[in-house]
Amino acid sequence: MRAPLIFLILILLVVLALVGYNSGWFGSAATGPSPTTAGDILPGAPVGPGAEPDEPVGDGGLEQLPDEAEAQGPVDPVNTPDVPAAGTFGHFPAGELLPKSGSGYLDRTTWSPQLCFPFAEDAFANSQVYGAGGGMGPKDKPSQCDASNYSLPWRDNFCESRGHASPLCANGKGHQGQDIRPATCKKDKHWVVAAEDGIITDMGTYTVTLTASAPPHRVYRYLHMRMNQLEVKEGASVKAGENLGKASNDFGGTPTTIHMHFEIRSGVAGTSTDGKPVKLHTFLPPYQSLVAAYDRKRAGQGCP
Amino acid sequence: MRNPKIRGLIVAGATLAAVAASAQVAPTPTPSTRPGAARPAVVRPTVGPITRPPLPGGPGGIDWAGAVGGLRQSGGGNSPVGRRLDPAAVDKTRLPILLPADPDLMGGARIYSFGDYYSITANLTGARVSLTGAAETTPLPATSRLTLLNIGPEQLVIQRTVDGQLASFVRYGVLYTAELRCDAPSDPRCRTDTYVRSLVAKSTVVVMGKAARQAAGLGA
Ligand SMILES: [Zn+2]
Repeated sequence: MRAPLIFLILILLVVLALVGYNSGWFGSAATGPSPTTAGDILPGAPVGPGAEPDEPVGDGGLEQLPDEAEAQGPVDPVNTPDVPAAGTFGHFPAGELLPKSGSGYLDRTTWSPQLCFPFAEDAFANSQVYGAGGGMGPKDKPSQCDASNYSLPWRDNFCESRGHASPLCANGKGHQGQDIRPATCKKDKHWVVAAEDGIITDMGTYTVTLTASAPPHRVYRYLHMRMNQLEVKEGASVKAGENLGKASNDFGGTPTTIHMHFEIRSGVAGTSTDGKPVKLHTFLPPYQSLVAAYDRKRAGQGCP
Repeated sequence: MRNPKIRGLIVAGATLAAVAASAQVAPTPTPSTRPGAARPAVVRPTVGPITRPPLPGGPGGIDWAGAVGGLRQSGGGNSPVGRRLDPAAVDKTRLPILLPADPDLMGGARIYSFGDYYSITANLTGARVSLTGAAETTPLPATSRLTLLNIGPEQLVIQRTVDGQLASFVRYGVLYTAELRCDAPSDPRCRTDTYVRSLVAKSTVVVMGKAARQAAGLGA
């Protein structure tokens, strides 16, 4: 009498296995990168290797001094959050960094719900350091103009390994914003625009700060534009979507890769890892807001 | 059961089922979503549903009595430090404006006021200073934790930025910042927190324009 029972159990296991296989329980490792939405290619977007400048990059995209750099990220497993981000274009979910580049921030809050996408044209969010041509990039892809940097899917790089403070990141340090490459690997060509209505409250040698007029008065920081060709000055009032300047590689003398480092900062109230309530002004993950903003842009919606 | 093909299928099925069962608890180390594919239930302590940020919580809760005490201590508004700031912007600000007792630094400072938030920019040789004050803060999700190595008195937190040092602290119920940004990434003032700490230490001058005085009950 036992044999039919065992047979029944085994049949059940086979059915389970088949269901599991069809449902993708065994992961998609064999299928390669699988962004949240199947990647559609933007018209005219990818730029082939050697398309434009391959001048030496001083910092490999690290945006910090070599002796302060934390190049090698912690080797903990890459998190695979399973809440799909909204989005009609190819992009990895928020918090899913390139393998071995650090641990991403997994909360999916859209910190700037009405964000105006900060480029006038298409653009590619990905890693300057671990992507092609970056200091920690693949050795067989030495060019920052490699097509892989100028195609979908997008990739989050908030919290990517850096020596800078970033309290929402796992060890309190990490990349403080999102790196975004312009539509093509050509500097001083593609417009960077205002993310919200606001005032340009500070201008450095490679930084532009926009403080939003509306509460909670988020502070947007734009790095590495062509600083001697800006459209704005300190004190300028700007509307969301208004041109600020052209994406470039300015970095206080030593060039970085052609990209725009984009930060969202705000005053927040939270809890420290040891349970203390604390208020501070700090860096918020821009990726989710950028995905939503890019979706609106692709749908032809203007900036508010 | 005697048929080796069936036996083989059953063994393979059992193995696959075991793998499937284990896949439900262990997050896969690879990118995960495939269009139309169901996903394993993974443990993700900090992941919530897609949300909008919470609205800034409640009224500012400014300690006006404390601010007025600070105003009196720093000369009742007669300090030379804030005199060069645009009076219209100062009057519009419904916050106690906090300035470093450093007339040289503040001599050419510019203030941008949004009423419940202000931002002041001042120049140094090869660097700039930004000072802000905010009545409101945005609550972080309950699952988020801030890894802060050192929280000082008045919730002082100093963060190394790409181009400098950012300090924030809470006084009179207001979140203030003092930030240094250097033109050259290698500028020693921006590499350590010494300068920004001294800036916070000398931030003792309280300035209150019409809106703040009214809110504090001092009359305009
Ligand atoms: Zn960056």
